[in-house]
Amino acid sequence: MTRPVAQGILDEEASANNASDEGTMAELRSLLLGPTETQLAEVHTRLFDPERQLEEVSRVLPDAIAVRSRQDDELTTVLGPTVAAALEHSVRKDPKPLADAIFPIMGPAIRKAIAAALSGMVQSLNQTLTHSLSVQGFKWRWEALRTGKSFSEVVLLHTLRYRVEQVFLIHRETGLLLRQVSQGESVLHDVDMVSGMLTAIQDFVKDSFTSDQGDQLNTMQVGDLTVWVEQGPLAILAVAIRGTAPQELREVIQETLERIHLQYGQALKNFAGDAAVFADTEPLLEECLQSGYDVEHQPASSARKLNPFTIIVGVILVTLLVAGFFWLRDRRRWNAYVEKLRSEPGIVVTDEGKQGGKYFVSGLRDPLARDPKVVMEGTGVAVDAVVERWQPFQALAPDFVLARAKSSLDPPATIKLTVHDGLLEAEGFASHQWVVETRRIARLLPGVSQFEESKLLDLDRIENPLLMFEFDKTQLRPNQEDHLNQLGSDIRRLQHLAGQQKVRLEITGHTDGSGTEARNASLSQGRADTVADMLRKTLPASTNLTITTVGSREKLREEMTEDDRATNRSVTFKVIVSDPH
Amino acid sequence: MIQKKVCMLGTFAVGKTSLVRRFVESIYSDKYHTTVGVKVDKKLVQVGETELTLVLWDIEGTESENDLRKSYLRGAGGYILVADGTRQDTLYKALAIQSSAEETIGTVPFLLLINKADLADQWSITEREMTALREKGWEVIVTSAKTGSSVEGAFQTLANKLVEV
Repeated sequence: MTRPVAQGILDEEASANNASDEGTMAELRSLLLGPTETQLAEVHTRLFDPERQLEEVSRVLPDAIAVRSRQDDELTTVLGPTVAAALEHSVRKDPKPLADAIFPIMGPAIRKAIAAALSGMVQSLNQTLTHSLSVQGFKWRWEALRTGKSFSEVVLLHTLRYRVEQVFLIHRETGLLLRQVSQGESVLHDVDMVSGMLTAIQDFVKDSFTSDQGDQLNTMQVGDLTVWVEQGPLAILAVAIRGTAPQELREVIQETLERIHLQYGQALKNFAGDAAVFADTEPLLEECLQSGYDVEHQPASSARKLNPFTIIVGVILVTLLVAGFFWLRDRRRWNAYVEKLRSEPGIVVTDEGKQGGKYFVSGLRDPLARDPKVVMEGTGVAVDAVVERWQPFQALAPDFVLARAKSSLDPPATIKLTVHDGLLEAEGFASHQWVVETRRIARLLPGVSQFEESKLLDLDRIENPLLMFEFDKTQLRPNQEDHLNQLGSDIRRLQHLAGQQKVRLEITGHTDGSGTEARNASLSQGRADTVADMLRKTLPASTNLTITTVGSREKLREEMTEDDRATNRSVTFKVIVSDPH
Repeated sequence: MIQKKVCMLGTFAVGKTSLVRRFVESIYSDKYHTTVGVKVDKKLVQVGETELTLVLWDIEGTESENDLRKSYLRGAGGYILVADGTRQDTLYKALAIQSSAEETIGTVPFLLLINKADLADQWSITEREMTALREKGWEVIVTSAKTGSSVEGAFQTLANKLVEV
């Protein structure tokens, strides 16, 4: 208040004293009012100099805003449109700074909203999938049992879908590697160069493919490795993945990148080559080292309900299985039968198989061989299920040669036939007629090249020799001893060959037609007795000799000459074989 | 440990890739391969107590500074300009590239290497030109990727500058 009054006094004095005293007055004024004047000038400046005003206001503005904000929210209301307009202006001018600024908060917010919307849907989906898990579970358990692996190992094998092998944090501006973590063996070596190269490729892509400002390289494929690249304003996260990673992993990577921006934003901006400050990002990066196990994905495909198609296929399979079993059984039986036929003597199988639903077998069969139907017994093959076609033939096996010989020669019981290497041998004794017949036929039999008769006795040798006597006497004519001796040895041989069979030698005495019947009867008796007595001397006691007397009733010859009569004066022999039983 | 990104800049066939190979692998090959895009290499060097990893971006040669992909330069802690001592025009192009680079990434340490010192008889860059550049405060080093002369030293010089910053 004092200053304006002082000013008024000064003004009055100045107009009164005029210019003559101006110098003195000025001096006086300055002496009296010096400090005040300076102060006044300063006030003047502060009031009217815009620059000073700016300075003044800026000094109190933050506090003023704070004070006013505490009182009411008028300021917010007033500033609202201005701030909105300013933001709008800023975005229109260059959206990047604002986008960069809100990048760390926008991502999570958007993802949270989407995740909330999706979670309900996913939950119901998960439930459906879990229900169908049991079948798969059993399958895996069975596989674990079969292979001897542990159950968890099998599940791991079936469900491991991807694994993050390595994570790189790269400084965007310089392309320098800030930090890297890996699990297992590192798949990328010389990571400093890799990160540089990654950045260079990013730059190249951005320069070369710019259709839109936000476009960037997100994925790279290196063999079975996939490299996912996520870019933030200040840093890049590159992740090397083996297998097929789900899209959710990308969210994890984005989230990690955002957190790094939030926590290390300043460090990233000021980065001058020393990566040590980023050592603490390791736990964050390790969160990206995820492995994906396919729990709900895999069973979904195998969780099939029984549908008509499955049932039909099942029925067909079972039918095929049963039919296959019977077919196999029939086949085995048939093969066994054919095998048996093949090993059957006198049967040669040339073809066999199945035709028109029936088995057939054809070949050669010796009429003497066993009937194939007999062979079939016990093999399980039905007789009426088989068609047989046999051509007759003569087998040359010894058995068959022998059988054929027996049927052709019809040997008496006293003969035993054998075949060996084409040699037919007869052992025993038989009538002269049979012996002659056999000699003729034997050589003509198939499979016989020679007839051996050294052990064969022709009964003619015993029954034929005629022992002649003197006229009207029971005495042998001279020179008949040799005949008798020969006869004796032949009879002994006969006895030997006969073996168990009982052999009886019937001796019949004969006379010529002269003389009385009574005389002839006694003569023939006497002659037979004479020979019997002589034979008994050389033959074993057991020899069965019987005597028959016929007198002149059974003449050996009609008596026309003296020779005929001499022949009739004789004894004849007959061999009679009887079964021992 | 500190890492720095270093770009190799220059026109075609001046020996950028050969210099990097000589420095990193101590190998020289007469065969000329043109670099497409960029090849990243690294080498660990020691500056006093500090271990420094140089991540070398061997960028494809460009006909003029306008062809230079600016995005490759981004974040570089320093760069190496390479000119061919037998082709004077490569020096002028290097100068143009330098100003373009400085425009893009600001003032960072850099070197100028005049390469192919082994081809002394075809030399076409004068001592006067080099002196003029040195007076401007540039570090100018004559190198040979073929013989390896001054290569190691040149990279070490840049490494020292990078740590000082």
